[in-house]
Amino acid sequence: MISVTALTKRYGPTTAVDGLTFTAPSGAVTGFLGPNGAGKSTTMRMIVGLERPTSGTATVDGRPYAELAAPLRTVGVMLDVRSAHPGRTAFRHLLAQARTHGIPRSRVDEVIALTGLEAVAHRRAGTFSLGMGQRLGIAGALLGDPGTLILDEPVNGLDPDGVLWVRDLVRRLAAEGRTVLLSSHLMHELALCADRVVVIGQGRLLADATVPELVDGTEGGSLEEAYLQLTAGAVQYRGGDVR
Amino acid sequence: MRALVRVLVRVPVRRTVAGHAGVTVTRVVASEWTKLAGLRAPVWVVVATVAAAAALAAVLGMFLRPGDGGSGATLVVSGHLLVQLGPLVLGVLVGAGEYGAGTATTTFTAVPRRLPVLAAQVAVTAVVALGTAAAAVAAAAWATAGVRAGSGLALDLGDGETARVLAGYVLSLTGVALLGLGLGALLRRPAAAFGAAALLLVVVDHLLATNPGRVTDTVRALLPGAGSRLLLDDAGLASLDAASLGPDLGPWGGGVVLGLWVAGLLAAAALRLRRGDVV
Ligand SMILES: Nc1ncnc2c1ncn2[C@@H]1O[C@H](COP(=O)(O)OP(=O)(O)OP(=O)(O)O)[C@@H](O)[C@H]1O
Ligand SMILES: [Mg+2]
Repeated sequence: MISVTALTKRYGPTTAVDGLTFTAPSGAVTGFLGPNGAGKSTTMRMIVGLERPTSGTATVDGRPYAELAAPLRTVGVMLDVRSAHPGRTAFRHLLAQARTHGIPRSRVDEVIALTGLEAVAHRRAGTFSLGMGQRLGIAGALLGDPGTLILDEPVNGLDPDGVLWVRDLVRRLAAEGRTVLLSSHLMHELALCADRVVVIGQGRLLADATVPELVDGTEGGSLEEAYLQLTAGAVQYRGGDVR
Repeated sequence: MRALVRVLVRVPVRRTVAGHAGVTVTRVVASEWTKLAGLRAPVWVVVATVAAAAALAAVLGMFLRPGDGGSGATLVVSGHLLVQLGPLVLGVLVGAGEYGAGTATTTFTAVPRRLPVLAAQVAVTAVVALGTAAAAVAAAAWATAGVRAGSGLALDLGDGETARVLAGYVLSLTGVALLGLGLGALLRRPAAAFGAAALLLVVVDHLLATNPGRVTDTVRALLPGAGSRLLLDDAGLASLDAASLGPDLGPWGGGVVLGLWVAGLLAAAALRLRRGDVV
């Protein structure tokens, strides 16, 4: 279970995350939604200890991430930035991660096979396409067979086959009792794979509910409609009309 | 060494239980080694450093005239000014490379206590730089064997002064690698780290040299470039000290100055790592 309590992050004058409180329970896929710049990635980076909160706390299974003895075996993380050095092969990249926890080489081969990267495992990550890089990020998240997964836009750039695979994967992981927190902008996809959603806008909580609760309370009756109504006042970057 | 690292980074001492699942300092060192050996650039830097040390010493040897004085050891280490670029690049690559490539997030989600990573980078860089510098000495000795025989310059490792000069060369190159690591980890941008290293090692010293005096000479003696005193023989140290109004550092004092710079920069990098965000 992931618990975020009154979490706040300021960068100088900008407040990226503003007193955010929610939990992502185990045994469920929690969708993490919000417009561009809402603070989803920042929240995820604070949960895994990469950024220090200005105030508030975040815990995984009741403990701050940095205090976990074996973080990769507890939490699998895939963030929205490139995860591998362009000069390193996919295999070396995963092996270096695995070595910090004494995870055997055979497990590296396993996650490579699981994400369909066997053919390119010994190619430098700099030559990878967007989707191949995403698969490598997911492979890294699965390395320690963790009970909690934090995935920032995991299907971004994946082909339809990959999208379907991620959907099945996260459903299966949740069915095994694991915690999945997954951000995405694809409402149709989330409607298919998420049990609950946490919606934020400008760093603040807008909704924290199960998907049926949210959809039933909206006229129009779709997750996309519910999302658009919730975030109507919180969109910071809006496209103009095409003339 | 491991005990020291443990104390420095406050990793709980755990008996190494077979199958223990978590992060240990030894494992982080293995990971950093895997990362370094998995890139092409460091391998080329090592090869180029050894080749440059041999080539420069051989070329400078060709300009020796009989009766020039000097010693075999001084000839072997004569390429130092350029050769030190190699270890510097190595250190900067290790210290700043991850940030430049945007992949520090992977490293620090695996080791969220962070400081074991810096400690492991120090260990890996020091070992690779030591090995490279030792290979550079051997290559330069081999490349100058003919010239030394022709000019009667002995290279007797049993001679205290010779041993000190060669060991000083290896130590100063290792120190420069760690200086690069400290700057890279502190500034997190390779270009900024190289710029700062050029200032500290060369530019400031040359600017101050144009205006000699007690104050400027003292400042010059306390710059990290003082580490190059380690490879001067007795005659070289004597002529340097005769021309300077600064403090008398003796044969090893320059190495201590470089060591203090390394320690200070690594401490600053550790503080930034501990306090700040990994972006
Ligand atoms: N290192 C940083 N320095 C300054 N501002 C930052 C930094 N990182 C994020 N921000 C700001 O914080 C806010 C939230 O950004 P964040 O990346 O968390 O949004 P997001 O919800 O993930 O958006 P997207 O859907 O586009 O991925 C933005 O206004 C962003 O500009
Ligand atoms: Mg984002």
